Amino acid sequence: MSIMEYNGGSVVAMAGKDCVAIASDLRLGNQALTIATNFEKVFPVTERIMLGMAGLATDVLTLRDRFRFRVNMYTIKEEREIEPETFAHLVSSTLYERRFGPYFIEPVIAGLGKGTNKPFIASTDVIGCINFAKDFVVAGTATDKLFGVAESLWEPDLEPEDLFETISQTLMNAVDRDAFSGWGAVVHIITPEKVITRHLKARMD
Amino acid sequence: MARRYDSRTTIFSPEGRLYQIEYAMEAISHAGTVLGVLASDGVVLAAEKKVTGKLLDLSVTKDGGYGGSGEKIYLLTDNVVVGVAGLTADANSLVNYARTAAQRHLFTFNEDIPVEQLAQRLCDLKQGYTQYGGLRPFGVSLLYAGWDPYYQFQLYLSDPSGNYSGWKATCIGANNGTAQSLLKQEYKEDIKVEDAIGLVMKVMSKTMDSTTLGSEKLEFATLTLDPTTKKPKAKIYRPAEVDALLQKHDLGKKEDTEMKTS
Amino acid sequence: MEVSFAITGKGYVILAADQNAARSIIKMKADEDKIKALGSHLLMAYSGEPGDTVQFAEYVERNLRLQQMRNNHPLRPQAAASWVRRSIADSLRSRSPYAVNILLGGYDMANKQAKLYWMDYLGTQVDVPFAAHGYGSYFALSLLDREVQKRLVISFPSFKVKVVDEGGVREVELDMTV
Repeated sequence: MSIMEYNGGSVVAMAGKDCVAIASDLRLGNQALTIATNFEKVFPVTERIMLGMAGLATDVLTLRDRFRFRVNMYTIKEEREIEPETFAHLVSSTLYERRFGPYFIEPVIAGLGKGTNKPFIASTDVIGCINFAKDFVVAGTATDKLFGVAESLWEPDLEPEDLFETISQTLMNAVDRDAFSGWGAVVHIITPEKVITRHLKARMD
Repeated sequence: MARRYDSRTTIFSPEGRLYQIEYAMEAISHAGTVLGVLASDGVVLAAEKKVTGKLLDLSVTKDGGYGGSGEKIYLLTDNVVVGVAGLTADANSLVNYARTAAQRHLFTFNEDIPVEQLAQRLCDLKQGYTQYGGLRPFGVSLLYAGWDPYYQFQLYLSDPSGNYSGWKATCIGANNGTAQSLLKQEYKEDIKVEDAIGLVMKVMSKTMDSTTLGSEKLEFATLTLDPTTKKPKAKIYRPAEVDALLQKHDLGKKEDTEMKTS
Repeated sequence: MEVSFAITGKGYVILAADQNAARSIIKMKADEDKIKALGSHLLMAYSGEPGDTVQFAEYVERNLRLQQMRNNHPLRPQAAASWVRRSIADSLRSRSPYAVNILLGGYDMANKQAKLYWMDYLGTQVDVPFAAHGYGSYFALSLLDREVQKRLVISFPSFKVKVVDEGGVREVELDMTV
């Protein structure tokens, strides 16, 4: 079995009108055995950027810590918050540093640009090749299902509450068909004013 | 005779002294004053700026960055602010080292670095220059204002020799003797941040050369606990806020005198 | 064929680990203690590759002790767990990684809370109310009730059980006859 599927878990991000959403499931497993149902895979980077990671859980944690380190140093030296595009390239180069012995995660980035509030979403592969998208990006063991559901549910220029509904339905319906993801979900909606975080109950089996 | 033992930082004189370290300390006693007062619900730092003048570009300090003008008071990490006295260039290097050390701690332990440990990290570095040859010691003393869950609010002082100590109220830089004795007279146990700000302002106005205080000569910072999140919150005052604070304590300059801020 | 369990309650964590030291089909020891007290309010149950386990547990024990001596206070459970995880994660990508699975239970004196961390040899870490390692986890995690002992295929004859709460760590005798 692939190491990318060892712990299970899925992440999805979507762009709306002056807002973005990013969501993950909560399962942490050892292959088919569920160890915990409170393992969040989305982390705040700044007030307006969030990073989700799907893949090997140890690397999710290690990279969370490494990105926190580098973003904090960036913020304190530059005396300003990092931009989503800049952060995406930071993620990319951090992963490519391990080109021949990679971290086994696929990151998903969601954020709003400074001043413009331009929605930004992107994902990369395990070695940091960036995929910029205008609609949605996905990662994890339910990738193929997420693509299918997102493709049919997503539409352009959704308002925050509609985007919340869309991303929640997308994630929940996708992970219901995936044995390695699920056990509840957490959704973050980033708007120019604030980040709204909601925990979802899903099929708990 | 003393000169023979001056050229190397790490050589004792026959009287058992390290001249370069003493000279570094001497240099600091001419630097802008930095004052710190520990209160029961926070820590207050104030610093006298030496690099001033009409032509100095301070436009970014008005609303960019964290509020400091980058001369005396720096944010090291979420729970520690530092005031420096001495060579600013040396201080910048130390500040950078401290910020990295703080992040390294956060990386390995997932908690903010305890204040004393951060002071120790810097002192280990400073001490090295009193022992290993070839280089000049750091010409900087620092005041650390911080909070951690182990010992709550703390105030530390460190000097070029790598010594550090904890204080309720202390001072580094020019006129530190005067300031220290004023603090000793005026400091009360269980002082609150609000009163500590007043005390700092008062002592500062008496030790500084200029008769009127203004944001062009003063940097100011507080470290308190956010009442909702219970997490430490460092605030480095912006020039306009410093002036407002001085007005509040009747120490600011009168309306009609020279330049206006904000 | 090792197993360790832990559960948290209000203000305490209980850890239990089997006491066997076996090599293939031979049981060499039946009174092994696989739960180390890492401080006055911190317990660690360890299992995994024989040799690595004790070596790593002692490495952790000595390092946490050193930090306590240097800083005049012990690490909080959260910080200790993060440090252990970092050690495992770094070791994983080194030339000779430790293969050790860990349950770390502690009582945080700063905020009066009991904490339990599940960690595996890859450096996966999660904060949980109850946890298990080994084949026992297949039963314990889904049931976590009295059925555990009866249904366990390899029924271990005895367990070391230790508790950590506000009063510190202590050992508990478990009556295995019921």
